[in-house]
Amino acid sequence: MREVDIIGVGMTRFGKHLQTSFMDLATLPILEAMKDGGIRPAEIEAGFCSYALAGDLHGVITGGQTIFWQAGISRIPIINVENACCSGSSGLYLAWTGVASGLYDVAIVVGAEKMVVPNFGLLGGGDTELDILEGLVTPASFAMRAQRHMLQYGTTAEQLAQVAVKNRLHAGLNPLSQFREPITVEDVLNAPMIADPLTRLSCCPNADGAAAVILCAGTRAKHYRSDPIRLAASVLRTGSYQNPLDLVPWETDYRTCKAAYEQAGLGPEDLDGAECHDAFTIAEIMHYEAMGLCPAGEGGRLVESGATRLGGRIPVNTSGGLLSKGHPVGATGVAQVVEGVRQLRGEAGERQIPDAKVFLAQCMGGDKDADARTCTVNVLTR
Amino acid sequence: MSDTVKPVLEGVLEKGPPARLLGGYCPRCERKFFPEPFVCPVCQGAVERVPLSDKGILYSFALVRTKAPFGLPQPYAVGYVDLQADGLRIISLLDPERLEDLAIGMPMGLRVAPLGLGADHEPCLRYYFTPEASKENA
Repeated sequence: MREVDIIGVGMTRFGKHLQTSFMDLATLPILEAMKDGGIRPAEIEAGFCSYALAGDLHGVITGGQTIFWQAGISRIPIINVENACCSGSSGLYLAWTGVASGLYDVAIVVGAEKMVVPNFGLLGGGDTELDILEGLVTPASFAMRAQRHMLQYGTTAEQLAQVAVKNRLHAGLNPLSQFREPITVEDVLNAPMIADPLTRLSCCPNADGAAAVILCAGTRAKHYRSDPIRLAASVLRTGSYQNPLDLVPWETDYRTCKAAYEQAGLGPEDLDGAECHDAFTIAEIMHYEAMGLCPAGEGGRLVESGATRLGGRIPVNTSGGLLSKGHPVGATGVAQVVEGVRQLRGEAGERQIPDAKVFLAQCMGGDKDADARTCTVNVLTR
Repeated sequence: MSDTVKPVLEGVLEKGPPARLLGGYCPRCERKFFPEPFVCPVCQGAVERVPLSDKGILYSFALVRTKAPFGLPQPYAVGYVDLQADGLRIISLLDPERLEDLAIGMPMGLRVAPLGLGADHEPCLRYYFTPEASKENA
């Protein structure tokens, strides 16, 4: 496999984009990423377009061909990718496999979603699966993990709430985040209960948004930028669906992180920052453990210690996370990598992690038989 | 009336009495699955339809207070129940009348009744587990 670098990134603000169509929203970060990388559309050899809900919500089919064509990219292989919350990072993984294998020198991924529509309600998983029919809505799935975590390790509701408070603190420093006003532990605990112990402020909000990343063979990257960011590992795994499976710890999460560390030849002690899939507060706590930032069961105490806040030992979700940015499903996994690139380039403004050299982006999606359907981990270095 | 009410998903339950859950059994792997898979996901051989235990232990649960799907009562609870006799941990709706009594680790018993709507928006039979009065099955 060849070395793969990131030469261009782009991202829209996450939030409401009522006046912009899905196709136009998705086109914006592609234009930004090409400008950022100093690259022309004709130099791109493959395009991956990720969205999970636009088909249902907007009737979009093979949207990537329209989106990339609007940005001047046509004729080349274009593939549309759906993999639940990892749709965007799965597109990135495919682009990485193409460049790493030598098939392409330059490939692009764009992830986009437009979810702020009337009566959207909760993100579901299809009406024909038994678990959904028996009432397993997504917050319930994470509430059950929280209940087990609290029972097994003594994690408290206050520690869970501190994840949302920390990520909102970070979001205040990120102009692209949807929600930026500071919140307190009391705000989180007193918000309307969704599924005990998760309140509304413990759950990520819906959003519109899009993000794009351009990958280039390591041998050619400096042709485009003097400061390419190395994609040192790109790993995609799925669940085992063995039965019975423990909700805590999350084996698939651990297995994916371990594979990524091995591919990068790095370990958790090397990280300067990370983004993880904080769709719910409990999720970030469990991802700390899988990423090896603390031993199993210690995630609640880790956030309480301040270690994962900006200025702490290992800042997590410096972008504000899904909890503050919102979760435009197809865009999320790409946006996490955009944050990593900006941190490693020193372009993160007020939320800059000083002298960041190694960054990890973890994403996870879907629910099947008490396990995730997808999990991705990307490790970036400079 | 309930004679004509369809199960929440075809082939997962029998109304009874006795009410039963139906799973798949692979004689080659000597493993059970729920719901019954198309073929054994381990060896890809044929599975037999078998009744599952009507007793379990509550592994975890969630009290859902947001808008309930499928016309379920609001709030409602959903959980994972360990069917120890079958070696399975299964997802299940929990008794909407017993939300206050739920606790991880408690013995549970199976019920089947008309509850909520199916994917076709028609009333349907759902299985759910309810806290057992006695602990003799724990």
